[in-house]
Formats: sequence, C-alpha cells, structure tokens
Amino acid sequence: MPSSQPSDIFVTGIGIVSAVGRGKAAFLGALLAGEQRFSVMERPGRQHATGFIGAEIAALDSPDRVAESVLRSASLSARVALSALAEAWQDAQLDDLDPSRIGLVVGGSNLQQRELVLAHARYADKIHFLRPTYGLSFFDTDICGLCSAAFGIRGLAFTVGGASASGQLAVIEAAEAVAAGRVDVCIAIGALMDLSYWECQAFTALGAMGSTRWANTPASACRPFDRDRDGFIYGENCAAVVVERASRRAAPYARLAGWSTVMDANRNPDPSAAGEAAAIRQALGRAGMAAPDIDYVNPHGSGSVAGDPVELAALHACGLTDAAINTTKSVTGHGLSAAGAVEIVATILQLEAGELHPCVNLENPIDPAFDWVVSRRKSTSLRNGLTLSFGFGGINTALMICKCG
Amino acid sequence: MTTEFVFSVMRRVIFEVLPQLRGREIDRADSLEELGANSVERADIVVLALEELNLNISPVEVFGPRNIGELVELLNAKLAAV
Repeated sequence: MPSSQPSDIFVTGIGIVSAVGRGKAAFLGALLAGEQRFSVMERPGRQHATGFIGAEIAALDSPDRVAESVLRSASLSARVALSALAEAWQDAQLDDLDPSRIGLVVGGSNLQQRELVLAHARYADKIHFLRPTYGLSFFDTDICGLCSAAFGIRGLAFTVGGASASGQLAVIEAAEAVAAGRVDVCIAIGALMDLSYWECQAFTALGAMGSTRWANTPASACRPFDRDRDGFIYGENCAAVVVERASRRAAPYARLAGWSTVMDANRNPDPSAAGEAAAIRQALGRAGMAAPDIDYVNPHGSGSVAGDPVELAALHACGLTDAAINTTKSVTGHGLSAAGAVEIVATILQLEAGELHPCVNLENPIDPAFDWVVSRRKSTSLRNGLTLSFGFGGINTALMICKCG
Repeated sequence: MTTEFVFSVMRRVIFEVLPQLRGREIDRADSLEELGANSVERADIVVLALEELNLNISPVEVFGPRNIGELVELLNAKLAAV
C-alpha cells in the first residue's frame, strides 16, 4: 500500500436500509433523535427457545427494476442490498455511465445463515424437494449476481470478507479499485448479515453478544462504552456507498482521504490496542493528517465487554481523546458485515448535517475523559471524521472521511 | 389422480414462480420457456410440482417434455407408478 493515498477519491452516492429507517433522510433523522428498535427478535429462524435481542427491519420496499419472480428466490440479505443499491444508484445518477466502468464490492461472507437454517429444517426429511435455486442463493456472490443483473453492472463484482470489518473493507476495496483505474465508479455494499439462532447462540457463548443483563428491558441492552454493557446487540442493516475519482458531481458528499488495513496475526476474537492504533496511525498518515485535525470519531464501539476498553486505549494512544465521539451501533445495533459501511454513511450524513447524534444508553462511560456526544449536538466546524471497524481474526480497518467544500 | 388435478397443480406452481403471469390463461400447449421461465425457474417449477404431488423422484426423471401438457402426462404416469 502506498505511503500516501490519492486525494481525489470521493463518495457521490449513498443508500441505507436499517431497522430505524430506510433512506438517508429517515436514517439521519433516526440517528439524531437517538431512536432505536431493539426487542426480542421475531424473524423466523432467530430463536430456538431463546430470547435473543436485536433490531429487525420492519418492512422493505423492493426496487421497481427487479422482477417479483427474481425477488422470490432472493435472500433477505440480497433484497436489502438491492434496496440500498437502488437508493445509492439514483443518488449518484449512474444510469448514463458506461456499465463496463462500474464495479461492485459486496462486504461480508456467510451472509445468509438464517435462510439456510430454514431451508435445511424444511427439507431435512424430503431432500428431493429442495429448491434448485438454493444452488444459486447459498453463495454470497448471489448478491453480486442479482445486483449486477438489476443495474447492468459490467465492470467487476466480488465479495470481500473481513468479519465485522467487512463493510469498511468493501469501501476500502472499492476505493482501491477506483484509485487503480480498474473502474471509474465502484459501489461498496456492506451486506446484511442474516444471523440464525445458531450464530446468536455461538456469539453469546463466546461472550461477544449480549444481553442477559437486560433481557427484560431490551431498550437498555445496547450500550457501547457504558460500564453496564454486556456485549453487542445485533441489528439488521445494510449500506451502499458509491466511490469515484474526480467527482462528476459539483458537491460530492465527502472525500476518502486515507485508509488502512492492519492484521494482528491472531485468529481469535480478542482485540489488540496495538493493531487498532496502527490502523489509525496509518490512515491518518496517508491522509496527511494528525490527531488534532480530527473533529469526530465514529468508533467500532460494538458494546463488547473486551473490545470497548481496548478501542479507547487505542484512541488514547493516538491522541484522539479530544475529538467528539458517539456510538452509531447504540442506535442501529451491530450489523456485523454491514456495520462498517453503515457507519461510513452515518459519518458522512453527520458531517454534511453539521450535527452529531447522541450515544443511546451511555449513562456511565468506561472512560469519561473522552468527548462523548450524550445529546444531539450541532457543530458547524465538523470537517474531518475517522471511522473504525474491527473484526474477529485480528482485522483492523480505519478510514478518514473529509467533508468537501 | 387425474391429469386435470396435475394440471391445476402445474398452474399453481407456475404462478408461484412466475407471479407476473397471474391472471393469464395457461394452456397445455404452452411451454415453460415460452411463458418466460429461465432454466433455473423451470427447475424450480418442476421441483415445486413434485413436492405438491408428493412425488419423491429425482427431477431428472421428468426432464424432456416439450410443453406443459406433456409434463402433466409424465407426472401423472409417475404418480400412477408409485
């Protein structure tokens, strides 16, 4: 990776689907209002005599350009991706571009677990009747196929896996593809990770997922960086980010000024302050910036018992205690594969609005020295945001986002 | 079981896989391809019909018919052989 990165990589379109709102206006409104939709999850395949808490998308409009016969065999992850992509595509006005110069990077792997569990259960004793389309839809790359078919994308399309850093990794890979000239425009999607009760159970057993402590009050369960957190709380969401060089738009949303991926050389879920700090320093360095230049940090902030203090230690080591900081996951829940892209969209929308959303349920921060945004805050001087994503297996990513104009 | 019943099952699963055809008349002389079903949709239609008819055979055994009428006859024959 070069020591400095291109200074002309812009975000020109965004799309967002979440449990708290679909579309950028509704999503920003929900963020700023500190809304949330956490409850005991009800989607089929989410519970097995369990009470897993999360935020589920209530209803989904399908894009007009996708036939009902296609949607019939598309997974929830794919349908949500199509919806987010439709918004971003329209937002960036991509219809008139050469389709061979448009690319797509989908962040996430093993995305469709719940649907697979349901199919396995339904056909366990009648395997002859398993739908042939299962042979398409079980691939994560089915999302690439469905999206490229619906929107005529002919440049490149692939998935990237980085556990809970997948969404940010997809944006980084899209930026790299544009910077390298492989395509002129590249859309990154942080895809919805459709957890089944099996993954929820395993995450709980690992000590990563909450919440037994807040089982009777789901609205209190998701509390990143709070002393009484007991793990991440899942949220269904998905975001699409359009990245291009030398923007066609007079007023792009933001410039991607620097990014970094650092591995801890560690298979396990335990986080590393050294690895996280290294990613932050590299992203800052490649953007030609230093800690005092950063106005706002959108952290990974999953609510993990182990991860949250390590992240604050990394921010502290990088001199980032004075930047405003909030927790998007306290509103959206943890979208895992989607999270990084969702939080990039959250960062961009807040920079554009000049307003920061509150941290929900942050009653007793584990480190009160940071500049926590505890209530909605207007800030016209917001220009430079840093967003972080970390994944199991020692994956650390950091991205510098600068407001244009 | 009559071919009329098998044909009604075929119509139902065709409309399930190809919802854009709902309200349209389906004729035994129609082929799935002419109705707009791609290869994956044709496979789904056949397996859905097998499930509805509880006909536990490999879908490969009912490949070959040139139109819906021939497929109905073949499925009916398979049902009679069970």
